[in-house]
Amino acid sequence: MKLISLHFRHAVVGALCLAGSLIIAAPALPAGQFKLKAGAEATICLKCHETFQKTLKSRSVHSPIKTGKCSDCHDPHTSTHKQLLASDIKQLCGSCHEKVLPEKARSSHKIVAQGDCLKCHDSHASDNRSMLKKPQDKICFDCHQDIDIKSKELRFKHQPMMTGQGCISCHDPHASVKADYLLKKSVPALCKDCHKTNQPSFNSKHLNYPVADTNCDSCHSAHGSNTRGILYDQVHPPVAENKCTECHLPAASPNAIKTKKQGTQLCAQCHRDMISQTFNKNRVHSPLMDNVGCLNCHNPHGSKQKHLLEAPMVITCGKCHEDTVRLQKWSISNPKNEGLCEPVKTGNCSSCHAPHSANNVLLIDQQNISIDLCGKCHKWESHSTHPIGEKVADPRDKNLTVECLSCHKGCGTGNKPAMMPFETTYDLCIQCHPERKR
Amino acid sequence: MNALFKILAIITGLLIAGLYPMAASGEEALKFRHITSIYADEQGLGLNHPEGVACNQNALLIVADTGNARLLKYTYKDKTVAPEVRVIQVPQLIYPVQVKLNSRDEMLVLDRKQRRIVRITAAGQFGGYIDGQGASSSAASAPKSFHIDKNDNLYILDVYAGQVIVTDPGGKYLKHFRIPQEYGFFTDLTVDFKGNIFLIDSVNARVFSASKNSDAFAPLTQSLKEYMRYPAAITTDKWGRIYLVDRNGSRIIILGQDGSYLGRLSAMGWKEGLLNYPSQICLNDSGEIFVADTNNSRVQIFSIIE
Repeated sequence: MKLISLHFRHAVVGALCLAGSLIIAAPALPAGQFKLKAGAEATICLKCHETFQKTLKSRSVHSPIKTGKCSDCHDPHTSTHKQLLASDIKQLCGSCHEKVLPEKARSSHKIVAQGDCLKCHDSHASDNRSMLKKPQDKICFDCHQDIDIKSKELRFKHQPMMTGQGCISCHDPHASVKADYLLKKSVPALCKDCHKTNQPSFNSKHLNYPVADTNCDSCHSAHGSNTRGILYDQVHPPVAENKCTECHLPAASPNAIKTKKQGTQLCAQCHRDMISQTFNKNRVHSPLMDNVGCLNCHNPHGSKQKHLLEAPMVITCGKCHEDTVRLQKWSISNPKNEGLCEPVKTGNCSSCHAPHSANNVLLIDQQNISIDLCGKCHKWESHSTHPIGEKVADPRDKNLTVECLSCHKGCGTGNKPAMMPFETTYDLCIQCHPERKR
Repeated sequence: MNALFKILAIITGLLIAGLYPMAASGEEALKFRHITSIYADEQGLGLNHPEGVACNQNALLIVADTGNARLLKYTYKDKTVAPEVRVIQVPQLIYPVQVKLNSRDEMLVLDRKQRRIVRITAAGQFGGYIDGQGASSSAASAPKSFHIDKNDNLYILDVYAGQVIVTDPGGKYLKHFRIPQEYGFFTDLTVDFKGNIFLIDSVNARVFSASKNSDAFAPLTQSLKEYMRYPAAITTDKWGRIYLVDRNGSRIIILGQDGSYLGRLSAMGWKEGLLNYPSQICLNDSGEIFVADTNNSRVQIFSIIE
């Protein structure tokens, strides 16, 4: 969760930069600039633009149009912007609606930050509230189709998703100064607006644990799920079975939320064999060594991800290995990298690395880090005619033999081709074959 | 016309004089020169992913040959590694990843598999474990790294307890420092000649420090991600300069005492002089730097040219 919020913060930084440009945007044309005849202001444009008579009857009309002040946005004579707009459309709205994107927003809607107001709003009028192009409960799904599709299939839907208000029950469509994900408030304050935590039913559903001030989204999937109580579909069995005391102190104890043990010692109560195997290897992944242990990567209650990972794998790993994930993303966006390994493309770090522990550096379990590992997917024997294997010495270093990682780097190489750490194949080959240097 | 040329010449001279220190203060200020590399023991058995290296003024050079579960004891003098090598292999040492020498030439070794610090006597015998006796956290500890100061006191980075535990040379608890709350992950610590303790937060590429008499760490730098990818080891030289090993970036970063960036050395590669996933480094008073070049399965020795 922290990681996702980090991404949002990055988005916010970008948004704020753009917001700055909105706020300092050129204002609409000053009133009275065109010295119209008395009484002409509200009517003169409509003489030619007759269809606007109908527009004016819409349920929601932009206030300058209501008063006939078309020149607030348009220059009636000439403009360097299309539709005779007074300034760039991405800046024009912000000249009046500067508060839409607060200076200290914790999260902001990307299209708002980019000034793409017309993606959602009609600039003149609409029969939907706030001049929206579509009804409130439909408009968000024009872009966020995945949420729409998934939520329709869910057995248990979060009530606000089914109301006319839809997404804006919880989200501010423009920006939020209070929370990530455009939430109007942070969790649990937001949830408590509807869910009364002092009700006996709330307490009994939570087995009398004092959860009123805890993170609801630690267990519940905000949009809905296929599990009763909109618990995450991947739910930790003790949660599904109401066995909170497997991990937590009894509900009546003063520190009921506190866990019985810390770090891996807590999880070892049930996952003893797995943890024993983990700690029996040469290199234990460092997060497992601190007093947070497994919970550095896994959500103990439930998750949308397999194995209760707190976020998709590449995001979870990127929480600490941001530099490697940055390289991976860069490699994906590199047009030269057609031969990018599938696990790099999909961010499936655990295809090559053992996430808990391993006997070799880089948390790789295979004895021969390169050939045994890559050979799981690649038929390296037929990869090329280049000699490779334990009997082929690397001329650059007498302790090395030629293997896959002699020429390629496993997590990607950014803008270089074929996962090679060199700009060209020639640059790679002359490493060992200097006599071929041109 | 002559006057005009004179003025132009003076301006040009001033500009050059002004710019020169700027160029010299960056990456040009310090340079590496490769002296030699160590590839094997006396019998010719090659190093296997060595992660630790220790050196001292008695010309001792110890390599933690991690993949071969052993220590190698070399003598390094006058820019030459003596051909005699002592192989130290004891059953209590399974996966040595970090090694330090104390003033009695004892080797203290962090064994990553056992998550314990092992003492090896100067004669190469097992001399017991160091577990911070008396520390409240000693029952459940996870030493990630350690350092020995000039008085042979130990500073143990215990990531389970979230503390830096200070012990006497025998391993008896003296005091502890809480590690800062806001951090990514601390992987290494060091103590400079003044007694200041430095911690490296690898995830945020940030150095924290605590002075000898303080009881808390404070940030010495902001994030240094601009200069490095994933710094995983830290040490200081006799002038107090800070050296960080950028493991994923395969290079060494040098900071001033105040945390200011001074330069970076080497780059990723396989040839001598280049590094591939380096681990521990050690500096001697002659300005020589010993690097456990892990994924190149060798130790490289460089001199630093100012």
